[in-house]
Amino acid sequence: MTNKQTVLIIEDEKNIGNFIETIVISNHYKALRASNGMSGLSLCTSHRPDLILLDLGLPDIDGMEVLQRIRGFSNVPVIVISARTQEREKVDALDQGADDYITKPFGSEELLARMRTALRHSERAASAAPQEQKYSRDGLEIDFDKRVVTLQGEYVHLTQIEYKLVSLLARNAGKVLTYDYILKEIWGPYADTDNQILRVNMANIRRKLEKNPAEPYYIFTEIGVGYRMIE
Amino acid sequence: MTKRVLWTNVIITVLIMGLFTLAAQFFFHYSRNSTSVAIIYVLAVMLVARYCTGYIPGIVASVFGVFFVNYVYTYPYMNFSLSIDGYPVTFSGMLIVSIITSTLTTRFKKQSQLINEQEKLLVEAEKETMRANLLRAVSHDLRTPLTGIIGMSKAYLDGADTLPEEEKAEMVASIQEDANWLLNMVENLLAVTRIRVGDAKVTTTPELLEEVVSEAVLRFKKRLPHASVRVQVPEEVLVVPMDATLIEQVIINLLENAAYHSGSQEPIELSVERWPHEVAFFVRDSGRGIDPDRLGTIFDGGGTDSNVSGDSHKGMGIGLSICKTIINAHHGTIEARNREKGAEFMFTLPLEEKKA
Repeated sequence: MTNKQTVLIIEDEKNIGNFIETIVISNHYKALRASNGMSGLSLCTSHRPDLILLDLGLPDIDGMEVLQRIRGFSNVPVIVISARTQEREKVDALDQGADDYITKPFGSEELLARMRTALRHSERAASAAPQEQKYSRDGLEIDFDKRVVTLQGEYVHLTQIEYKLVSLLARNAGKVLTYDYILKEIWGPYADTDNQILRVNMANIRRKLEKNPAEPYYIFTEIGVGYRMIE
Repeated sequence: MTKRVLWTNVIITVLIMGLFTLAAQFFFHYSRNSTSVAIIYVLAVMLVARYCTGYIPGIVASVFGVFFVNYVYTYPYMNFSLSIDGYPVTFSGMLIVSIITSTLTTRFKKQSQLINEQEKLLVEAEKETMRANLLRAVSHDLRTPLTGIIGMSKAYLDGADTLPEEEKAEMVASIQEDANWLLNMVENLLAVTRIRVGDAKVTTTPELLEEVVSEAVLRFKKRLPHASVRVQVPEEVLVVPMDATLIEQVIINLLENAAYHSGSQEPIELSVERWPHEVAFFVRDSGRGIDPDRLGTIFDGGGTDSNVSGDSHKGMGIGLSICKTIINAHHGTIEARNREKGAEFMFTLPLEEKKA
């Protein structure tokens, strides 16, 4: 690809910014740096980046507000960078329109995987291409047309709700989906806010798809946040 | 004595003396027995001393009681007299008894107050020592890897042109290892801040056991990619009240402890069993086991002084004592023992939340 994709890094810590920039550049993206929220916003409007990496703790304005303002004029994928202890913050960011989050400290591979996923999902949404017909990964296949799930070629019996859950996660593979988002998508807007029913359903799915429910391979739990399916 | 205390004293004294005078009046009306009346007044004086502050109210009440008994309840009635045979001895006796009773009561009260205060101070001091010990252990555990990181990175920069590539790679790897160690340390400390200071309790939410276990294992593997873990959870879907972040930290600490200290490459076993009223977590390794001398105190944070035996800075003192703090806050139990081959750490969590 001759036209490099641009990644805007909004991060006030110089060392972490350098570290991210190194990863981004060495993987053939173009990097833009902003060390506070306001300059991040202005770079975002002037350069129209393809992806934004946003740290939530910024010196001038709250990262959450930067996210809201960006969402006011653009659908550019945003990956939020946060510390592990702030679950509430992660969930809020995701519900405010962030595409994904990554927890400090993270490795380069993890960051690149998240970036690729976010870029792919945004391209797909932008090109208005027909939805994919199939999800396939290491023996697990989901045929969205026929509504059939097979594991190593064998048919897996899922209930209606379980199928809906699995296909929702598979269509968003690689992205973390929050409890609230899943509850709304599957049980409708008036669903109980209690996520117990969702988690019990996930436990049942795990027993049908995973070899060992304690070491899942396909669907990962991010406790306090939501679920993520392997891409 | 402040005005307020004075007034409280006056009110209490008047109230008690009034009530007992009423009782004495009632009693005397039926029995005409002045000795019993005197006893009633001594009791009243004792109560005054008990509920008022200082010695004065008790003494005042004693004097009043003696005069009042003499005046109202003994012959000649409604007249003051000490001249009748035996009266001086009786009434000075009553005065002395009631004054002594009242002063003794007051002193006893003061002493028990003092003891209470001292106990409180003692508890505070104990907490303070614990905090100081933790801080000392923490700074020791933080300084060691930091020294490594600073020294290694300096050596790297100094010898950037001269050192062979392998050596440089080794140095960076060891910097990374030390940094990871620091990270776990910091996460342990953060974990402790989630435990409420006052009553050492945690806020629990019902969590799916397998999700907590799998996330803990995932994070452990991210940190130590070469360690292998075999995980087993019950087939049944178990929901256990807990603070998931803290329990994850406990599991990670125990796994890490096994990985660093067992001296064995065999997989670490992590298994969960459902017991009637609790779930039990086991972390077993096939290594050299725990030194029997340390078994009793292994959770007490004494890791830093006795780990000279090649454990270098990876003393698990704080990690294990934090495990214990976390499990205690969950009303669970934690213990360590040696198996035929290797060590076993076990902790339990109650299935139902205990009513405080």
